[in-house]
Amino acid sequence: MSIELNTNDGQVTITNEVISTIAGGAAVECYGIVGMASKSQIRDGIAEILRKENFSKGVIVRQEDTHLHIDMYIIVSYGTKISEVAHNVQSQVKYTLSKSLGLEIDSVNIYIQGVRVAKD
Amino acid sequence: MTSETLNGVMFTQMVLSGAHHLKNNAEKIDTLNVFPVPDGDTGTNMNLSITSGADEVKKLNSEDISEVANAFAKGLLMGARGNSGVILSQLFRGFAKGMEQKQSLSAADLADAFDSGVNTAYKAVMKPVEGTILTVANDAAKTAIEAAETEKDVTALMEKVVKEAKASLKRTPDLLPVLKEVGVVDSGGQGLVTIYEGFLAALKGEAVPKSDTDDIEMDEMVNAEHHKIAQDFMDASEIEYGYCTEFMVRFEPDKLERNPFDEETFRNELSEHGDSLLVVSDDDLVKVHVHAEYPGEVMTLGQRFGSLTNMKIENMRDQHTAIVSGNKNTAQREKTEYAIVTVAMGSGIKELFESLGASVVIEGGQTMNPSTKDIAGAIEEANASNVLVLPNNKNIVMAAEQAAELAGVNAAVVPTKTIPQGISALLAFHPESVIDENRQSMEAAGKEVKTGQVTYAIRDTKIDGMMIEKDHFMGLADGAIKASHKDKIETVKSLLAEMITDDDEILTILQGEDASDEDVKATEKYVEETFEDIEIEVHKGNQPIYAFIFSVE
Repeated sequence: MSIELNTNDGQVTITNEVISTIAGGAAVECYGIVGMASKSQIRDGIAEILRKENFSKGVIVRQEDTHLHIDMYIIVSYGTKISEVAHNVQSQVKYTLSKSLGLEIDSVNIYIQGVRVAKD
Repeated sequence: MTSETLNGVMFTQMVLSGAHHLKNNAEKIDTLNVFPVPDGDTGTNMNLSITSGADEVKKLNSEDISEVANAFAKGLLMGARGNSGVILSQLFRGFAKGMEQKQSLSAADLADAFDSGVNTAYKAVMKPVEGTILTVANDAAKTAIEAAETEKDVTALMEKVVKEAKASLKRTPDLLPVLKEVGVVDSGGQGLVTIYEGFLAALKGEAVPKSDTDDIEMDEMVNAEHHKIAQDFMDASEIEYGYCTEFMVRFEPDKLERNPFDEETFRNELSEHGDSLLVVSDDDLVKVHVHAEYPGEVMTLGQRFGSLTNMKIENMRDQHTAIVSGNKNTAQREKTEYAIVTVAMGSGIKELFESLGASVVIEGGQTMNPSTKDIAGAIEEANASNVLVLPNNKNIVMAAEQAAELAGVNAAVVPTKTIPQGISALLAFHPESVIDENRQSMEAAGKEVKTGQVTYAIRDTKIDGMMIEKDHFMGLADGAIKASHKDKIETVKSLLAEMITDDDEILTILQGEDASDEDVKATEKYVEETFEDIEIEVHKGNQPIYAFIFSVE
């Protein structure tokens, strides 16, 4: 699936992969995030941190009519205010996508898949 | 005050002083916020976070520094807001962990605590971005560790920490490109420096440091404001307040007696005159930056309190146009093989040309001939290897030819003398052919079309053997006057009767500013009744001067 934008000069097609990578990249720059997790890995009880090229496994882009929704599966750092980290991710992802792709996102849903306790 | 140990009571004072100082500067820090999301809330968020931390500390009232630090960290964590707030909470979580079980700290212990704070803070992020609050905290902590080897006095150590934090803050634009681009230091880093300044003031036993209004900060705030504006507005016409106005007022005692100065009241007054408002004042001066539509009124308001100095007013609509067209030259308009530059008057005609593939449409025509420089500029803006220029007016052909010679690229002029000729020529354009072939075929296409124009006389005159009275309408066919009448529609009728022959198939009507929809209907009716085989196309050209432009082919 992909997003299509109609411009004066023709059509621009953006694949979901691209959106996932950009959204994931924006998210991991957020403070308090230690990684992106896969959507389905929770069944093993282990949330493994995804590498950059696999971000799309942890970022689901859904298109409903003209509305865009993004689900993100993240792992946060223990001892942070997780609600606030999630909020920061939402605003940063929204901002980055609108700035780099010109896409208006209706919702960014955050699923906290794990909390990593840092070793001392 | 010199002391070799730091206890809980003292640290409580430090926290309260830091929170207080941050609160005083929150608004200023807000304005610096351009990264990661330029939403101007860093100062507010950090203030809310540290206030929550300070509240916990106040409730505790303990002499045990590790208890106080833990309470502070807990309060920060609970109240963390925004990215910078979360980072702040981690810094002090690590800070508290670094001094566990200690009731008081030596200078070396304090340095260790700072270092521990930084370590914890860096662990909670996958990809730390340098040039932010993290960098400032890190540099400051490293300095603390080094200094602690020789320095035994806590206050002196903190002094070095603040000094390095400030220096590191100044370096943030070198690490984070967006800061440099805008010309500001990092807002979160500024927040941390502010907190450290508060700590130091408490150690020295001073009141909260006064907010210093040095020039750099004001300039940075102005830069950040403009950055946000540049993002918000795509079009110069959207700018509501057109003038960027900056000035300082040096207070004069006698004026202040009549008009006592209050920053808050003054700011509220100014906010009614514009936006992007920044007001910074101290005992002698107030600095103002505002985007207003009437800069004079704003200055008059300021003048009540003293004399004006360092005034600067810039027209932002002009600047914006310069920025936007500047962008087109370099980044936005990619270099292409072919481009077409044309001259036209009227928004509708401009759109028509653009929809047919013209890259740049220069505003101009009969009464407003663009200069050679205007055309040369447009050729450059088009940024293509081959540029075809359609002057669409015989008075502009010369200028266009000169501009084409001046241009650094392969440019040629198709000497179209009217708008319809230009349109026909544009339709004949073939991107595959070389420029010379195009020029020839387009010129030929332009000549096939007959142009009719209806306008009014500005004075009594006699041309081509016809008497024309002032304010009467004139009909021109390919430049020669063929009809004149005091009624617009009568003029149209006799002009069209003159122009249209049996071989013609299409009549295109470009409706001008001076032609109403009724005029167009009357014309259509006349043509349908008189010439059976003619198809009619109507476009809103919105051109001035010419009520109608007809194209017959």
